[in-house]
Amino acid sequence: MAPPQRPTGIARLFEPPEIGRSAIGTRIVVYTLLILWSVFVLFPIYWVVITSFKTPNAVNQGPFYIPWVDFTPSLHAWEELFVFDYEDTLKAYLNSIIIASCATVLCVAVGSMAAYALARIQYRPKLGVILLFVVCIALAFVAMAVAGVDWWLALAVGVALFFFLARALGRHFRRTLGNGDILFWIISQRILAPIVVIVPIYLMFQQVNLLDTHIALIIAYSVTNLPIVVWLMYDFFSSIPLDLEESAQLDGASRIRTFWEIVLPLSRPGLAATTLLVMILSWNEYLLALFLSTSNAQTMPILVAAMNAGERGILWWSMSVVIIVMIIPVVLLALVLQRFISKGVLLGAVKG
Amino acid sequence: MSAVAESTGHAGRGVERPGAGTAKRLSMRNLNKSFGQVHVVKDLSLDVAPGEFLVLLGPSGCGKTTALRMIAGLEQADSGTIHLGDTDVTRMLPKYRDVAMVFQSYALYPHKTVAENIGFPLKVRGVDKAERARAVREAAAQVHMDGLLDRYPRQLSGGQRQRVALARAIVRRPSAFLMDEPLSNLDAKLRGFMRAELKHMQHELGVTTVYVTHDQIEAMTLAHRVAIMNHGVLQQLGRPREVYDNPVNMFVAGFLGSPPMNFASGRLSGGVFEAPGVRLGVRSQGSGPAVLGFRPEDAEIVASGAGTFNARVYAAELTGDVTLVTVVLGDDNLAVKMPKEFEADFDSDVGVRLNLARCFLFDANSGARIDGTIEGAASA
Repeated sequence: MAPPQRPTGIARLFEPPEIGRSAIGTRIVVYTLLILWSVFVLFPIYWVVITSFKTPNAVNQGPFYIPWVDFTPSLHAWEELFVFDYEDTLKAYLNSIIIASCATVLCVAVGSMAAYALARIQYRPKLGVILLFVVCIALAFVAMAVAGVDWWLALAVGVALFFFLARALGRHFRRTLGNGDILFWIISQRILAPIVVIVPIYLMFQQVNLLDTHIALIIAYSVTNLPIVVWLMYDFFSSIPLDLEESAQLDGASRIRTFWEIVLPLSRPGLAATTLLVMILSWNEYLLALFLSTSNAQTMPILVAAMNAGERGILWWSMSVVIIVMIIPVVLLALVLQRFISKGVLLGAVKG
Repeated sequence: MSAVAESTGHAGRGVERPGAGTAKRLSMRNLNKSFGQVHVVKDLSLDVAPGEFLVLLGPSGCGKTTALRMIAGLEQADSGTIHLGDTDVTRMLPKYRDVAMVFQSYALYPHKTVAENIGFPLKVRGVDKAERARAVREAAAQVHMDGLLDRYPRQLSGGQRQRVALARAIVRRPSAFLMDEPLSNLDAKLRGFMRAELKHMQHELGVTTVYVTHDQIEAMTLAHRVAIMNHGVLQQLGRPREVYDNPVNMFVAGFLGSPPMNFASGRLSGGVFEAPGVRLGVRSQGSGPAVLGFRPEDAEIVASGAGTFNARVYAAELTGDVTLVTVVLGDDNLAVKMPKEFEADFDSDVGVRLNLARCFLFDANSGARIDGTIEGAASA
């Protein structure tokens, strides 16, 4: 049979001239899309940067695009935030750094260990025992709400009751769940929209007197990001050949040593990517911060939002300054971690 | 040997010839293991003498790897015991068992150099740096890898990785080596070469070795004794020659040899074995469906009518040193090894003459050997 005919007309533009070269038409389409996308991504950043160097007049009098041509740059907004209001700015900045990094470290540490356990140990929790736990905790809440019992007392009794009943009845339950179910349950925490549970979360922190503290936000961020860490790291740990760990065991290493010396170094790319993602999510988080902090633990996103609630209208210039300083640490972190991430892609590709 | 003799300071054991004094007996008694509903290893009892090279041979899924993993401690036996020397290791953590394992995938640590890989077992044991470096160099020299200590596994070829895995196993002078198909990821040429090297090294070190493979040539060439397993049951245990020349059942007969033993199905009754075109007198009282077995080298192609039975040539293949002739008898394809000069036309009628002293009869249902001498062609 003869080979297919060469195309004619427009289609000819999309036919590669030889192996290893792309057709002119394809290149035009690809570069057009890439350029459009770059403009779409980069223009807002450019706009934020030039706005931060504009005076209120330059902002209000109409769109100016090019510094020194359209308008004269000024340090007015930068001065306002870093000279006159520097205390507020610095405090929010420090808060963000403390809260986001603590939450990231805590979340990645706990999440990776959970993921490793799920990847390597078969759990068979009994459905009945889980239901029992839910019932006991629910009873504790009823006691709190209806009878006005102290929260710690109600919880302690609830948990004690659970252990007692689980010991007494546990043997009789048959249905069990597996690791897949646990994993799905963990990721399902992320399906829920945070706004739905924001009021209960607020009340919980109110009960334990942690509102407007760093700890409240660190806990809240760690918990909300935990599913992402577990999900991503589970895949990573699962892809590490079991042979390596068994070999380390036979070589005489303990489980912890195997985890530290063999598993963790091999999952560095995954850890870097996950850390970056959790850091960005915690750094940019707005909703929980809005509810759980008022002044003491206020973070950068709240500061940005505050810029459009002043008596003088929306302070675009100040907002731009805050946004720029807010972007910088994340960009730096991304640059540092990017090395590991790209390496990870290669490692996965070669391993097969 | 002198280099090895000097290197015996670590791990508290000093012997002139490593292995000779430290090699331990490995005994398994009534081992059982099930995964869910599947009974993988059934009542396995085996004794491996100190310094012996024992090969566990069987098709995939026969339970040989599970048996090995139970010795290593990577799998817990459901019942039965494992002793290494005088110690009961049945429930001992792998790290305390003093066995080293070479995995099919080599299981080298990708982020460690060759030297770090080989030295890892010593590092974990807290052997100091200088001592470790010396032991690593010696182990590496033994597998001819001493020039590549700073490389990473990804920079090594398959054969070199295999050597590093071996060096990591020998560096700490274990009481027993466990090897799980260590050569199956190598290409054919390298496999043959490494096989000889492995045999030589095991002989020099004199360490008790259990070697798992599905490759009968590896088993025949390497083993002091072969244990053939099928469906989790030990079929036969013996020296390679014994097992080859005197198989206890059809499975063993059909698993060993390349090509394996030929089988011609027929019936045994009244002292006569009958298959299409074949009638053989047998001194045996048995009756029922039976199978005649003979090895390709125990038969020859002769002129039609001059042999034990007649058959049709299906194909003749020159393999180099011999010509392998496949003939058709009834529904069975039979292979016969002929000198390399032999030639035969497709579909030509030929006779096959058997060396009757080296033929076997098996019960077609159970596969067990039927005792009885085959006496020769029986008249109708």
